Amino acid sequence: MGELEQAVLECLWDLDATGGAESRGASGREVHARLVGRDLAYTTVMTVLDRLVAKDVVVREREGRAFRYAPRLGRAAMTAELMREALDATGAERGQALVSFVGEASAEDLAALRRALAELA
Amino acid sequence: MLTPVVLGVLAVVLAGPLPALLARWTRLRRTPAAAMLLWQSTALAAVLAALGAGVALATDRLWQPPVAPVDIAVAALAGWVTLVVAARLLLSGHLTGTTLRRTRRAHRERVDLLARTDGGVSVLEHELPVAYCVPGMSGSRIVVSSPTLVALTSLELAAVVEHERSHLRARHDLVLEAFTVLHRAFPRFVASAAARDEVEVLVEVLADRAAVRRADRRALLSALLALAGAPAPAGSLGAAASALAARIEVLRDTGSHRLQAAMVAALAAAILALPTALVVVPWLAGLEPR
Repeated sequence: MGELEQAVLECLWDLDATGGAESRGASGREVHARLVGRDLAYTTVMTVLDRLVAKDVVVREREGRAFRYAPRLGRAAMTAELMREALDATGAERGQALVSFVGEASAEDLAALRRALAELA
Repeated sequence: MLTPVVLGVLAVVLAGPLPALLARWTRLRRTPAAAMLLWQSTALAAVLAALGAGVALATDRLWQPPVAPVDIAVAALAGWVTLVVAARLLLSGHLTGTTLRRTRRAHRERVDLLARTDGGVSVLEHELPVAYCVPGMSGSRIVVSSPTLVALTSLELAAVVEHERSHLRARHDLVLEAFTVLHRAFPRFVASAAARDEVEVLVEVLADRAAVRRADRRALLSALLALAGAPAPAGSLGAAASALAARIEVLRDTGSHRLQAAMVAALAAAILALPTALVVVPWLAGLEPR
């Protein structure tokens, strides 16, 4: 399922990049048509789209009697969002949801690291 | 009358002066496993003593006839304070737990959608070098960004991954969560912030130790140097920066400190066992119908 979700999200990103500003998003049919090589049932595509909506990665808008699906953020913006969450976790207001290997270091810390490395040499 | 007083004094000492003292005793970090045990037993004993003091005061007043109205009032007050303490802990535990789990799950889901996996590690495409882990019961992840793979040698990367694996294996997230719960429940008047900050340092020290055991000390130090970010311009000095200094200090120290480890562990056991044996058992015996 994870690989399929990735494929559907990729597909939405592609459509978003090529579609232009006036046609943001795609219908379930359009996504299904783009993934034709995978031989998926239409309902499978709809299930995956709904899962992505539940994960708050894709947003859904009603258009007439159907829904249009669009990525909430582009690939780069979503990666940046993850990085921000990871780096904020080491900042002052730590929720400790994520723990970084090492946070920011002062000049003294870096000097201490170099000294420790020199001792081992 | 003695039991509630002893437990009350104990609770105050264990919640305030002792953690403040322990936080300043930096040599304690040389025996991180024993130190972690001591912090946990101190926190647990403080909570138990506080709850025990309230319950003991209430029973002390009600079990000895004749029971005057003032006894009932004191018992009711003690019971109420005990309930408030317990309720704050439970509420803080619930809020902290659900928030952490929701944040981690949402983060993990997006990592899985964006990252490629390489040798059990999720790799994100981004210009900043990072390495971190996403703990979780239903699937944890070790995440690095592509510049990390470029910046580190294979030995250094192995040390970083071993450090993160150790966090996940030892469930350090649960220890941190417990101390966050305590701090959110009692943010003032007790040394809960000092306790949480020190436990944060100890968790890193323990993961460093584990990484050095399986990988290489030099590789870990050079990985720290390669990945340590420049300080943010807006004076956000604090735990993160001093934690790194503490980690370097412990990494340079190669002594075994067996005696200190044994004594600290014994102290940890005593802090939990002695009040139980000397205070709680006689008190429970006193409640038996005569």
